[in-house]
Amino acid sequence: MDIQNYKGVMVLGEQKDGHIRPVTFELLNRGRDLADKLGVELSCSILGNEIEDLTEIIYRGADKVFHVAGPALAGFLPGPYARALVRLVQEERPEIFIAAATTTGRTVMPLVAAGLKTGLTADCTLLDIDDKEKILLQTRPAIGGNIMATIKTPFTRPQMATVRPRSARPAHRDESRTGLISVKNYGDSPVSAVERFLAYVPDATQEVSIEDADIIVAGGKGLKTRDGFKLVEELARLLGAGVGASRDVVDLGWASYPHQIGLSGKTVSPKLYIAVGISGKVQHLAGMQTSETIVAINRDPEAQIFQVADFGIVGDAFEVLPELMGALKNAPGRRLREGSEDNAL
Amino acid sequence: MRIAVLIKQVPGTDNVKMDPETGVMIRTNKGNIINPLDENALEEALRIKRSREDVQVLAVSMGPESAMKAIKEAVAMGADGGVLLSGRAFAGSDTIATARALAAAISKLGDVNLVLCGERATDGETGQTGPMIAATLGIPVQTYVQRLEVADDAVKVERVVEGGFEQVKVQLPALITVVKGINEPGFPTLTGKVRARDAVVPVWGADDLGLSPEELGLKGSPTRVVKIFSPKLSRSTLLHRQDNTGRAVNELLKFLADRDIV
Amino acid sequence: MRYNPVNGKIIDELKTIVGETNVVLDPEKLAVYGRDEVSEADWQHRPEVVVKPESAEQIAAIMKLANREMVPVTPRGAGTGLSAGAVPMLGGIVLSVERMNKILELDRENLFMVVEPGVTTGEVQKTAREAGYLYAGDPCSADSSFIGGNVAENAGGNKAVKYGTTSRHVYGMEVVLPTGEITTLGGKCVKDVTGYDLVHLMTGSEGTLGIVTKVFLKLLPLPQYVADLLVPFDDMQKAINIVPVIMTHGGIIPTSVEFMDSLSIKAAEMYLNQKLPYSDAAAYVIIEVDGSSERQVEEDYETIGNLCLKNGGLEVFVADNKSTQDRIWKARKCYAEALRVISPVYCMEDIVVPTNRIPQALEEINRIAAKYAVKIPCAGHAGDGNIHATLLRENRDEQTWHEVKEKVLDEMYRAVYALGGNLSGEHGIGAKRKEALARFMDPVQLNMIRSIKKALDPNLILNPGKIVDVE
Repeated sequence: MDIQNYKGVMVLGEQKDGHIRPVTFELLNRGRDLADKLGVELSCSILGNEIEDLTEIIYRGADKVFHVAGPALAGFLPGPYARALVRLVQEERPEIFIAAATTTGRTVMPLVAAGLKTGLTADCTLLDIDDKEKILLQTRPAIGGNIMATIKTPFTRPQMATVRPRSARPAHRDESRTGLISVKNYGDSPVSAVERFLAYVPDATQEVSIEDADIIVAGGKGLKTRDGFKLVEELARLLGAGVGASRDVVDLGWASYPHQIGLSGKTVSPKLYIAVGISGKVQHLAGMQTSETIVAINRDPEAQIFQVADFGIVGDAFEVLPELMGALKNAPGRRLREGSEDNAL
Repeated sequence: MRIAVLIKQVPGTDNVKMDPETGVMIRTNKGNIINPLDENALEEALRIKRSREDVQVLAVSMGPESAMKAIKEAVAMGADGGVLLSGRAFAGSDTIATARALAAAISKLGDVNLVLCGERATDGETGQTGPMIAATLGIPVQTYVQRLEVADDAVKVERVVEGGFEQVKVQLPALITVVKGINEPGFPTLTGKVRARDAVVPVWGADDLGLSPEELGLKGSPTRVVKIFSPKLSRSTLLHRQDNTGRAVNELLKFLADRDIV
Repeated sequence: MRYNPVNGKIIDELKTIVGETNVVLDPEKLAVYGRDEVSEADWQHRPEVVVKPESAEQIAAIMKLANREMVPVTPRGAGTGLSAGAVPMLGGIVLSVERMNKILELDRENLFMVVEPGVTTGEVQKTAREAGYLYAGDPCSADSSFIGGNVAENAGGNKAVKYGTTSRHVYGMEVVLPTGEITTLGGKCVKDVTGYDLVHLMTGSEGTLGIVTKVFLKLLPLPQYVADLLVPFDDMQKAINIVPVIMTHGGIIPTSVEFMDSLSIKAAEMYLNQKLPYSDAAAYVIIEVDGSSERQVEEDYETIGNLCLKNGGLEVFVADNKSTQDRIWKARKCYAEALRVISPVYCMEDIVVPTNRIPQALEEINRIAAKYAVKIPCAGHAGDGNIHATLLRENRDEQTWHEVKEKVLDEMYRAVYALGGNLSGEHGIGAKRKEALARFMDPVQLNMIRSIKKALDPNLILNPGKIVDVE
C-alpha cells in the first residue's frame, strides 16, 4: 500500500429518517481541526436514500459531501453499509477516516477496517496530528481505567478511529462556507436477503435521555446502598436534573443501565455535573469531563474526581447532600431551572 | 447446529493495579474471570442448546496458557468443549490480528452456524474484535443484541440503539455480539466442574491455523501503541472541607450563582 | 431523672475540647445520629449534641466533663447496629468516632494490625488482603460498619464457623473508661493470662464499659483459594441437616454455611429483579471453603457437594472466581434490604441455638408464624446456629403490630430457650432486647452484669439504658 496516495480527512456522518444527526457536527469539528493541521480537505460521507439539507454539512466545515445512496442503505445494516464505505474509501482515498462511537459507528467501522486491512482505534477521547510525521495520534482510556494510551497506524491507510459522542463541541455554523456535494450512487447493490431490517421500536420506557439534560447529578459507590443512592435522585429532582450513575452503581442494581456514565455507558456534556461519591476512574471521567462545570462531593480528598472538578467538597455525602438540599429549598430568590418531569428519574 | 462462543479472560475488577513508580499495569493470573458479557454470550448459547436438539456449544479463546481456565469454566457451565489459541506468535496482537486468528480458528472448527460473543471486554473495551471476525469470515454481524431467536437458517435479533431497539433478521451463519440485558448467566455445576477437569481442550498455535507469523502478533497488527500515560486532568479546583458550619455548601451555592447556573 | 440536660456551658466546653466544627447541633443532622438500622420508631431518640473527637485524650476529657455535669454519653461507630445500641435513649451526648479512621500499623513480623475505631471493617479487610493477609472478621455490614463497633458488639458474620467472631481476632485495645481514664488492655501478646481477661470483658460490652480508641487485630495468612457452593434443597430439614453431615462425615470445617428459606429467596429474587436458579426451592444453603492449595479446595468442595447431593440437594452450583462468587453471594447479601422493600417496618431477630437444633427452631418459628399469621422469613448462619428471623409488619396498623409482635417474640424466645438457645448471636441486646433479657436471663447473671457496670461506671454515664437496667 502506497500511503502517499491517501490524502484528506473523511468523517462518517449519521442520519436518521433523512435528518442529519447532531453527532455529525461534532465529528466535523474534530475533522476540521485535523484537516487544518495537515492542510488538506475535509470530506463527510453520509449514507441513506434521501437526506435533507446536505448543505448544512458544508456550513459546519466540510469541503466535500459524499452522499452514498442506494436502496439497501435506507436504514442501517452493517453489511451493505460496510461494503459501500469500503468502496467509497477505495475511490476517494482519505488518509484519515473517523466516525462517532455510536452503535452504528462502533459496528460498521470494524467491518470497514477489516475489509481494508487497516487499523482502527475505538472510543478515542483525543485526536491529534503528530507534527513531525504528520500522522494521526489516537488517544483513548486504556485497560484498568487509570491510564491513557496513544495509538498510531503507521503503515496502512486510512488511519481509522471512532470518537466518543459528546467529547467535542459541535462545529461552528457558517453559512458563507461553500463546498461540493456529490452523490455516489451505489444503487446497483441489491437489497440482500442475508440481512433484513424488520422494525425500529422507539423505547417508550427509556427514561429521559441524560445526554440532553442541562444538569446531571451522578452517584457512585460511596453512597453505600440503594437507599443512599436515593439522595442523588432526590437532589436531581430538586434541581430538575438528570440522574447519572457510575458503572459500579449500575452493576449493583441501584440504577439502570441507561443512567450509566463513562466509557461503557454514556458520554455527557451538561452545563453542570455533580458527582457524588464517585472516585473518578478514567473510564468514568471519559464520560463526563467535557461538562461545563463539574462539582464533586467525596469523602476521600485524594479521589481522582477532584482533579477534574471546578468545585469540590471533601465530606460525607450523607451530610453534604441534606445540607445542600436544605439550602436550595430555603434560598430566597433562588433561580432554579424549571424542573420538568422529563428530567426527573 | 454448532455454536462457537468467544470468551476472553480478563482481570477481575479488583485485580488490576498500577505500579506507582512506572505507571505500568501489574497483571496477575490469579483472580482472572471470564469477561462478563462473554458469560452472557455463553448463557445464550446454552439457552439455545436447551431449547433445541443437536446443538453443540464450543468455547474459543485466545490468550496465555492460563486462559485454559476460562475454557474449562465454560465447559463446567455446560459447553461441550472448546479450543485455546495460545503461543508466542499471538502475543501483541491488536484487534485486527486477534480477529484474524479467531476467524481462522472458527473456520478450522468447521460447520459453525452461529458465533456469539460479548459486545465488548471489560479490559480493552474496544468492541471491535467481534465485527472484525465477521468481516474476515464474510458472514453477517449484529451488535448490541438483547434478544435472540434462532430458526434453522436464520436468527431474529433485537439490538439496543440510541433511543430504541432495532429488529433485524440475518441468515446463518452469522456473528452476534450481546449486551448484559440479554440474560442472567448461570453457574457451573459440580458435575460440570468434574467433567471440565477431565476434558481435553486442544491448544492451537499459528501453524495449526495455517497463519504465518507475519499475519499475527505485533507484525500482523496495523496499530502501534505510541505511549501510555496517566491522564493530566486539568481544572483548577476550589476545594472545601465539609464541617458543621454549612460553610462549604454556602460556598458552593455562591460559586454556582457566580457562574449563573443555579 | 438523674441526668442533666446539655446546656450552653457544656456545649462551650465540648467546643474547647474537640474544636467548634466537630460539635453538631443542627437538628436535621442530630436526627441521623438518633437511630441505627433498627426500623421501628420506638428505638430512635435524638441526641442533644454530637461530638466528633479525634483522640483518646479528647474522649477522656469529654468523659470527665460528662461525669462532672451528669450528662449521658453514647458512643457510636457507623450506626449499622441492629439493637439500638448506639441510640442515645436518654438523650445527652453522642460521641462519634468517625474522625478516628486511621490504620496505625501493619506489623508483618507479629501478624498484627493496629487501627483506630472509625476505620470501616471493609477497609481493614482490604488493607490486610492487599498485604497478603486475612482479617477474618466479616459481618454482613463490613462495607460500612466500623471496626470499633464490631469490637463493641463482638460482631459475628459469615466466616464465624471456621474463624470465630470478632473477639477471636482482638488481642488488645486502648480504651477510655467511663470515668475518663485511658488504659491499654492486652496488646500483641498471643498468650496472656495476666489478671482477668479484660480485653474480652470489653469486647461485646456494647459500649457500656468503655470507649475503644485503638484496636490490636490478629491477622492470618491469606487463603489463596476460595470456593463457594450454592445448593438448593426442596426441604428445609434436609437443608439444615447437611451442616453436621459436612462437619462430621466430611471432616471439613467450611468458612461459612449460610441458609435462606423460601420467603427470603423470593424476596431477594424480587428485589434483584432477576430469576434465581431453583428459586422455588424450600431453602438455599451457601457453603464456602478456603485453603492454600487449589487441589485441596477442589477436593473439599467436591466432598461437600457430593454429600449435599446424597442428602437431598437438588443441584450443586460451584463458584471459584470473583464473578460467580459475587453472583452467588448477591442474593444472600441483599436479602435484608429486600425485606425492607416488602415491609419498610420489620423486626429482625437474631436468635442462636446449638447448631443441631436449627431444624427444630425453624419448625417452631414456622408454627408461631402460622399461629399469628405473621410472615417470618428466616436466613442466617446455619453453621453456627444463628438464625435471623424477621417479623414483617406489612400493612398492620401500629397497635396490632405491637401486640402481635410482643406475642410472637415471647413465644419465639421461649421456644429458643427450651432448645438451649439464647436471645442474640451477634446483634446484641442494646435497648431493643433489654426487657426480654430481664425476663429470660438467669437473675444471678443479670446481677453480675449490674455489679460490673457499677464498678466501672459509678455515675452510669456511659451508654445508660442498655443491656440491663442497673437501678
